[in-house]
Amino acid sequence: MLIFMILEDMLADLGCESVTGAATVEKALTLVDTQVFDMAMLDMNLGGNRSDAVADALAAHGVPFVFSTGYSGRDMRDGHRDRPVLKKPFAYEELVEVLTAFSHAEALRKCGS
Amino acid sequence: MSVIAQTQAMRRDRTGGMSTIVAKTAEQRVAEGEVENFRKGRGPFVVATETTRMAMVFTDAKEPDNPIIFANDAFLDLTGYEREEVLGQSFNFLMAPGADQVSLAQIAAAFDGCEAGGSEISYRRKDGSVFCAAIFINPVLDKSGAVAEHFASFVDLTKQKRDQAQSTMMIDELNHRVKNTLSTVQSIVSQALRNTSDPGAIRESIESRLFALSRSHDLLTREKWEGAGLLDLVNAALEPFGVANGRAGRIVITGGNIRLSSKATLALGIAIHELATNAVKYGAFSNDTGSILISWTIESTIEGNRLILQWREKNGPPVTQPSRKGFGSRVIERGLAHELEGGAHLDFREDGVVCIINIPAPRGARDE
Repeated sequence: MLIFMILEDMLADLGCESVTGAATVEKALTLVDTQVFDMAMLDMNLGGNRSDAVADALAAHGVPFVFSTGYSGRDMRDGHRDRPVLKKPFAYEELVEVLTAFSHAEALRKCGS
Repeated sequence: MSVIAQTQAMRRDRTGGMSTIVAKTAEQRVAEGEVENFRKGRGPFVVATETTRMAMVFTDAKEPDNPIIFANDAFLDLTGYEREEVLGQSFNFLMAPGADQVSLAQIAAAFDGCEAGGSEISYRRKDGSVFCAAIFINPVLDKSGAVAEHFASFVDLTKQKRDQAQSTMMIDELNHRVKNTLSTVQSIVSQALRNTSDPGAIRESIESRLFALSRSHDLLTREKWEGAGLLDLVNAALEPFGVANGRAGRIVITGGNIRLSSKATLALGIAIHELATNAVKYGAFSNDTGSILISWTIESTIEGNRLILQWREKNGPPVTQPSRKGFGSRVIERGLAHELEGGAHLDFREDGVVCIINIPAPRGARDE
């Protein structure tokens, strides 16, 4: 749970206004369906359950997201192979790089290209 | 002529059904007779094939489909068949449906060629259960140098495959835990550096949290990471704060040893560590008279069964509201609540800090 808190701190430093977390697949799905998010980070292993359902939901709502994982590469991300991945533990700079890419993509979309 | 054709037709029909004795051709009888004569001669090699625990068969190389002309007891034990059900059957009658083509080709090559060969393949027992076996097929030459029989031995790989799968799973799980632990350490260090610039305080902050994490790991390892009892957890977390410092009489703990998941164990371990650290610095353990009451119950509510844990300090120095949320408060109110899908509230009452943690009760937990 301290991992969640360091994420909160990193995101706060980046100027993120609010961070909402979910520790289970069920809660995550509820959040994705009921709230609007600019971007998301998804742990590939949510309490032992695969997080595919959440990835599908995020994609369906058009929310850009990055995977985080503790595994060394045995993960299967069928249908989401083009999403960026952060390997735990990751540096602040790595997070910045990923999230900056998300906001650039946003800006590009708004310009209509 | 017609009698032989009829017997062969019956044999072909029977490759589907396994529970009847195969009608024998003259050739089959001769081939079995030769093996039987050799067997009667006894000698060490015969004793070896009969008594070994390795499943073995001989097949007739001169007949199509390589029919079995001898099967040892170990083979019968492995496959569940009686001897009469096996003799005369084609070697491939044991194959489980859907056996992969590469392995089938390797076995066919071993029977066709003059060299030893083998494969790993799925076999089916008489009762229908499937097992994975390694088979080794060797040609047996007659006096003219032609291949007269084949000798096949089998090793049941079921246990080996299961152990391998288990081992892989455990290594993955270990890697996962190590990565999470490293991320937790990253968080501990990051917090310590944010909250103070005094090197001594930084070191103390990092070390005390690392040791708390380590104690939680010890507790979990004792129970093979299947969880821990709540009473054991509370005692372990308070151990550095209590008895060693002569404070044993100032802590009262009431509650059953409810089984927690490993996730809840880690999270609550950190929370209790933070509460105790705060008590030592500013609260009930920062003077000589303060005491702490820790109690928990399982209550049934509209949201289901809840585990409600209370931490109540009293007779410490007067408590003032902190000007900003310290790491400990955030850990309890934000971190714990997120991790365990519950709520936690820290109340800085003037006569003593009160913390109430309310999380879903572990499955099957009852008040003891």
